[in-house]
Amino acid sequence: MKLLTHNMLTSHVKGVTKGYPLLIKATEVKVNQLDFNPQFVSRMIPKLEWGALVQAAEDLGYRQDLPGELIADYEQNEEFLKKVHRVLLEVEVMEGCLKCPESGREFPITKGIPNMLLNEDDA
Amino acid sequence: LEKSRKSKEEKKVLRKQLKASHTLLKHEGVCTTPQPTKSLVIANGGLGNGVSREELTAALQEMGEVEKLLMPPHKPYAFVTFRSEDGARKAHANLNGWKLQCGESSITLYLSYVDSVKCKEAASVPLPEGLALVEHFVSPEEEAQLLNVIDWSPTQGDVTAQKSLKHRRVKHYGFEFRYDINNVDKDKPLAAGLPDECVPILQRCVEQGHTNVLPDQLTVNQYESGQGIPPHVDTHSAFEDTILSLSLGAKTVMEFRHPDGRVAAVVLPERSLLVMKGESRYLWSVVFCVRITPRKVDMVPAEAPRAGAPTEPGIQSNLTLSRRGTRTSFTFRKIRHEPCRCAFPSACDSQGAPSPSPGPSLPSCPADAARLEEEYVHRVYSTIASHFSDTRHTPWPRVCHFLSSLPSGSVLADVGCGNGKYLGVNADLVGCDRSTALVQICAARGYHAFVSDALSVPLRTASCDACISIAVIHHFSTAERRLAAVKELVRLLKPGGQALIYVWAFEQEYNKQKSKYLKQIFKEDHGEFSSTNLLSEKSQKSSGEQISDPSCHLENSHKPSDNMQGVSRVPDAHLSVHTNRTAFISQDLLVPWHLKGGKSQQEENPDLFPVFHRYYHVFQQGELEHLCAQVSGVKVKSSYHDQGNWCVVLQKE
Repeated sequence: MKLLTHNMLTSHVKGVTKGYPLLIKATEVKVNQLDFNPQFVSRMIPKLEWGALVQAAEDLGYRQDLPGELIADYEQNEEFLKKVHRVLLEVEVMEGCLKCPESGREFPITKGIPNMLLNEDDA
Repeated sequence: LEKSRKSKEEKKVLRKQLKASHTLLKHEGVCTTPQPTKSLVIANGGLGNGVSREELTAALQEMGEVEKLLMPPHKPYAFVTFRSEDGARKAHANLNGWKLQCGESSITLYLSYVDSVKCKEAASVPLPEGLALVEHFVSPEEEAQLLNVIDWSPTQGDVTAQKSLKHRRVKHYGFEFRYDINNVDKDKPLAAGLPDECVPILQRCVEQGHTNVLPDQLTVNQYESGQGIPPHVDTHSAFEDTILSLSLGAKTVMEFRHPDGRVAAVVLPERSLLVMKGESRYLWSVVFCVRITPRKVDMVPAEAPRAGAPTEPGIQSNLTLSRRGTRTSFTFRKIRHEPCRCAFPSACDSQGAPSPSPGPSLPSCPADAARLEEEYVHRVYSTIASHFSDTRHTPWPRVCHFLSSLPSGSVLADVGCGNGKYLGVNADLVGCDRSTALVQICAARGYHAFVSDALSVPLRTASCDACISIAVIHHFSTAERRLAAVKELVRLLKPGGQALIYVWAFEQEYNKQKSKYLKQIFKEDHGEFSSTNLLSEKSQKSSGEQISDPSCHLENSHKPSDNMQGVSRVPDAHLSVHTNRTAFISQDLLVPWHLKGGKSQQEENPDLFPVFHRYYHVFQQGELEHLCAQVSGVKVKSSYHDQGNWCVVLQKE
C-alpha cells in the first residue's frame, strides 16, 4: 500500500463518523525507486489531505522535513516535490494493518494489499 | 500488392478454419480431417448462431446435391453430407471463409471435412414415453373464447391467483400453485373454480380417453414473444399423473430433457392439446421457448408435422427457425391427495427425492442475495482468478477513451478492477475488487489496488474526479443492490465528477449487429466478453451512441423487467444455466465457466476440469438508465450499447 492509496482510504465501519485518516500499524515497509514526475506530483498535491499524508509519513519514519502545512508555490520547488514523490509513491507498506480511528476495527495489509472487507454485521 | 493482400486474407481464413477445427475437437468432440470426404462440418453455420436451414441449404445446394443436412439444436455448427465427394470439395473451395447472409446480418462460415457425421444429437430421439399431441383439439372459435375468459387486469379479492413472474404472466384457478414451495396449498382452494368455458373441452378430453378424471386445477401461462421458462418437472406430490396442456394463440416448441441427457423437441401448434402421462410427466423436464437469437425465433422441425397424425419421433437435427408470437397455455391438472407412488423415485418428492431444485433461485431477501453472490460470484472468481486473468488482457477501446480523456493528475477509482486491465491504461487509477486473488494479480503488476466490496467502498466521499465500474453491477442479484452499487459510485465522485458504467446486455444483437460474444463462437468458451480481437472486422462501429434524455429514453424503450409494483413478487423457478455464446433466455442466470481443459474434457473428467457458474443479471435496453435515474444528484450524460454491453456516463451535479 502506497501512501497515495492510504490518503484516499477511509474506514467504512457502520456507525463510524470520524473514520479518517486510518492509522497505520506497519510491520514491513519497503521503499521502491520510481521515476520522478514533477508535473504529476504537482497535480496530485491539491487533491491530497495534506495533514493525513504528513502524519502517515511521520508514523512510518519517512517524514523527512515535510511541513505540517502545505507550502505556497510548491510547483516550482523541485526539492519539495521530490520529498512528496518519495512519501506518496515510493514508500510502500507491505505488511501490517490499518486501524479505524473511531471503532478500532483493524484491516490487514498482506503483501502490500489492504483488505478492507467488512463482516456482515459491521458493514 | 493485390495478390499479397489476397493471400493475407486467405491466411486469415485458414487460421480461423484451423482454430474452428481445434475448438470443435476440444469442446464438441468433433474430429475433422484434412482429406476430402463427402461430409463437412460447417462452423458458424448452426442454429445456435441464428442460421436457418433454408438459408444454409440454399448456399449448399449450389455446390452439389445435398444428401443430408444436420443442424443440432443450439449448436454453432452444422453437418452436411453431399451425394458425391465432388460436391463437398466444391463447397469447401467456395464456402470456406464465405459470408452467409442470414436475415439482416452476415456470418462467416468455416468448413472442414469430417470422416463421418457422428454427433450425439444426430441420432433421432423418440418422443418421451407417455407423451401425445393432438392437433386441432379446439376450434378457432373455442380458442378465441378461452383467450377472452382470462382477464389479466389486476384483481382484488383474489378469486384467482395472478402473478407476474419474471418471464411470463400466470393465473391460477381452482388452486394456486405456489412457486416458493413448488407445490399447491391443498387446504386453500381459490374462490374461482375452473371457468365454465373449459368444461366442454375437458369433457372432450375424457370422452376421447386422454384422461379418466376431470382436472380441478388450471394454470394459465402467457408468454410474450421471446419469453421462456426454465426446465422443470411438475412436483409429483402436487398433481396426479395426467397433465393436459392446450396451446393457444401461437405455436411454440416445448423441449423435453431426460435426466440422462436426451433431449426431444416437440412443436406445439396453436389449438393443439398435449397430454403428458407416465415417464413424460414424471421424469422429463420441460423447457419452453428455446430462444436462439434476439430475433425472437424458435427452432421448429423443418417439415411441418402431419396434421392429426401422432407426432413423429422428434428428429433432433432436422430443425429450422420460426418467428414467435404471444402464446397462452392452459394447463389442466388434478390435485393429488395421496402421496405419489410413481415408478420414478429419483424424481419423486413423495418418495424422498429432493424437491426439484437444480440450482439456486433468485433471492427473496437481502441475506439470500448476499449468499447467492458469495457462492456464485465471489467464490467463483477466487477459484478461476488466474485463468480468468489470462483471458482478460485487452482493454475495451471505449473505456480507454473515457480514461484517457480525463486530465492527468485526476483521482480515479476502478471499482471492480478485476485483474487490473484498466489500471495500466491510466496511472492515476486506484483499483479495488472483491476478489483477493484478482487484487493480488493487480499488485504483482505494480498497480495500486485493495480489496473491498462495491457496496461499501472505503474511499472518502467526493474524493474522485472519475470512477469506472466495468462489468460489475450485473453481478448483484437484486434491483436494490444494483441501485446501491450505483449510489456508492456516485458517493465517491466530486461535484462534476463522472462515472462510466458497463453492464452485460440482454440484447446481444443491436442495430442489426451481433455482439462479439455471439459471433465469436469459436473463441475459447470462457463466459462473457472474449477479450481478444475486440476491434476486428466491421463490428467496431456497431455501437449506436445516443446522447439521451433519460426520461424520454425510459418512455420510449425501457421494457422494465422488474415492474411488479402492485403485483406480489414471488421467487420464480430456479436460475437457469446459460448456454455460452448464445442469446439469453432470461435476465437472471448462471453462466458457466470451463476451467482450462474446456467443455469436452470437463465431461470426461469432471474432477480435473470442473465447471463453475457465475450469477449474472443481464440488463435490458433502458434498464441501466432507469436504475441511474433513481439516484439523486446525478444525471445520465450519455448512454450507448458497446459490444453486447449497456453503458452509461453519469455526471454528479
